[in-house]
Amino acid sequence: MNDEMTSSSLTFSQILSAPVQFPSLLRSQIDHELVGPVLLFVRTSFLSFLVGSLLLLLCSLKLVLPSFLDGVNFLSYGRLFPVAIDLLLYGWAIPGGLALIFWLTGHLSGATLPYKRVLIAATHLWNSALFFGSLALLIGYSTSVPLLEYPTWTSFLLFVAFLLMGLWVIFILKERRSSLFYVSQWYLLTALAVFPWIYGTANMLLTWEKIQGSAQGPIQAWYTGSLIQLWLIALPLAITYYMIPKISGVKIYSYYLVLVGFISLLFFAGWSGLSALLGGPIPAWMSSVGVVSNILLFLPMMAVVLNIYHMFQEIDKTTLHQSPTLRFVAAGMIFYVLGSALSILHAIPFANAILNFTDYTRGLFFLVLLGSFGMTFLGACYYFIPRLTELHWSSSSSIQYHFWLTIIGIVLLISAMTLGGLIEGVAWNDPAISITNIISYAAPFRWLAVLAWGLLLLGFFFFVRLLLLMRWQMIEKRVPNSL
Amino acid sequence: MNRFQSLFIIIASLFFSTWLGIVVYSYLQLGHLKSLSTSDGLFPLQYSGQAILGAQVYAANGCMTCHTQQVRQVDLTRADIERQWGKRPSVPLDYLRDRTAFLGNTRLGPDLSNVGLRLANAQWHYQHLYEPNIITPDSIMPSFRYLFRMQKIQGETSAQAVCLKGPHAPPPGYEVVPTEEARNLVAYLLSLKHDYDPSLPNQAAEK
Ligand code: HEC
Repeated sequence: MNDEMTSSSLTFSQILSAPVQFPSLLRSQIDHELVGPVLLFVRTSFLSFLVGSLLLLLCSLKLVLPSFLDGVNFLSYGRLFPVAIDLLLYGWAIPGGLALIFWLTGHLSGATLPYKRVLIAATHLWNSALFFGSLALLIGYSTSVPLLEYPTWTSFLLFVAFLLMGLWVIFILKERRSSLFYVSQWYLLTALAVFPWIYGTANMLLTWEKIQGSAQGPIQAWYTGSLIQLWLIALPLAITYYMIPKISGVKIYSYYLVLVGFISLLFFAGWSGLSALLGGPIPAWMSSVGVVSNILLFLPMMAVVLNIYHMFQEIDKTTLHQSPTLRFVAAGMIFYVLGSALSILHAIPFANAILNFTDYTRGLFFLVLLGSFGMTFLGACYYFIPRLTELHWSSSSSIQYHFWLTIIGIVLLISAMTLGGLIEGVAWNDPAISITNIISYAAPFRWLAVLAWGLLLLGFFFFVRLLLLMRWQMIEKRVPNSL
Repeated sequence: MNRFQSLFIIIASLFFSTWLGIVVYSYLQLGHLKSLSTSDGLFPLQYSGQAILGAQVYAANGCMTCHTQQVRQVDLTRADIERQWGKRPSVPLDYLRDRTAFLGNTRLGPDLSNVGLRLANAQWHYQHLYEPNIITPDSIMPSFRYLFRMQKIQGETSAQAVCLKGPHAPPPGYEVVPTEEARNLVAYLLSLKHDYDPSLPNQAAEK
């Protein structure tokens, strides 16, 4: 804390252009302390992904074969779908992101970790809330607020667990050895500060103490938009800015671009969600602000793209070829750009009139969740899991299969949902076309989506295989911490 | 002030504006709308106790994952009105009585904000919920059979028995009746009508 005074007089250009590098002894000490809590959450996140995407495979199948497993309450589409989405969000993306935040915070601040018990207790609290919350949804205790379906006690426990973990991270940051903040930490800290804020506010007003129905729409939209931008997009950016310099030694290209990207993202993120209610029951100014801020999200995207493009240019091709992390991260960034483009299109009124409420809208969400967040997060896992456990990936062909099957799965899913959505939208906009026809037009695309979920799962099995092989090494080495 | 705090303050102040603009505005403005008092009574209409319970069945079974409840502005698209999902676009006031506003974000099926206006027959809804294919062949809406009960006919068939023919008919001597949940749900669906004119002058300043 003593060197804070000097650091505050630094200008931005003097801030780190690459993550700090602590001595390797300290690094392995940090890893040793982190391994328990981080792996606890990593396991939650992989398990949730597995269950969540299996359920989504089932859901997508039900949209083409509605009689499959039909007429059973807990297997009905309207119950399974929220369970699956919430598992991917609160079981996969948030715990996965948190595991990463713990790990990166430890490594970027060089602090050893006190109060580990608090952290472990909080992760257990989160996991149990998740498990019982999902069961509650299956037996019909849903609030039916999009992305906030969990019953009130679940969301309250999740909120408390998150606060505990957030406080722990802030405590570590206070103890840090390096007084400087690296870019990744800006994004991580944002994600960490914003999540309890939006989750708390949205639950407070929409599920715990419901306000008048007339005011709920904009708040639902604000929650979704902020969550997407400031968790599902902020974290991939943090990962990318960390991994490229770490693995390839290439430094941040332009600090001013980083700054522009960061500030504009923060500024437009919350407003952008409003475009989901374009033309809906909200004041007209809200619709307009939603459209404008979605379009202006082009700014942070361009800033990031310019920076990262230049950085990737400098990486030599063999490093890129050898590092699965860099390949996953590069793919994640491409999906991020694609997602931004598709969401700008979605916000433009004449296109929105056609695309909104169709499979296109959902596809966009999957693109962010699986493409931007998912790919970069998996990339990060390929980097930090071996370091944390001091083990190595045993099969490079499995990594290849995992990578390519995931890429093909995502591309297929998004193309099917985008194109299918476009066709549905055009059809909905022609009142002469009956719902039966719309369903039949959409069917081929929905079959492709089923196939895509299958490929995604197949790819993930290769990853699971890698993890199991690693676990096998662990048993042989008798390392006490198991995955 | 150190770098840590200043970063925190940047994050907070930038994000604060959206919180203020959306959450606080909505809470103070839209959250305190008063119902419209006209010569025909108060609008939007009050829900019956049964319909309020029905809204919970609607939530529990995730009807919102496939159905929206919002008719969009005509300057955006005319299709919602042309499909007779409503006589006019939805306004915030329409959701005044809803515990949760089921605005929805996906339309795998039609919008339901005014389903009580266009489909006012409970028997239709029972048949449809029991087996959507009876009404719309190749529908992808799930069957909500589990909200119904098969029972032996005691004397005369019950007034509420669902009229089922062909492959979905119960065995002879039996009938299919809606459970309380299904009855509440249908009461809720039938009360979904927003056809008052929100631009009428409010006759009573006080509610
Ligand atoms: C898998 C998505 C899905 C779910 C979940 C779903 N529906 Fe549907 N719904 C549809 C589709 C598709 C149609 C159009 C075809 C039809 O009439 O069956 C439809 C039609 C309807 C209609 C007729 C509307 C009209 O104008 O013709 C009503 C009423 C309805 N659904 C009510 C419900 C209720 C109540 C629930 C929850 C208990 C529900 N739906 C759940 C997909 C769904």
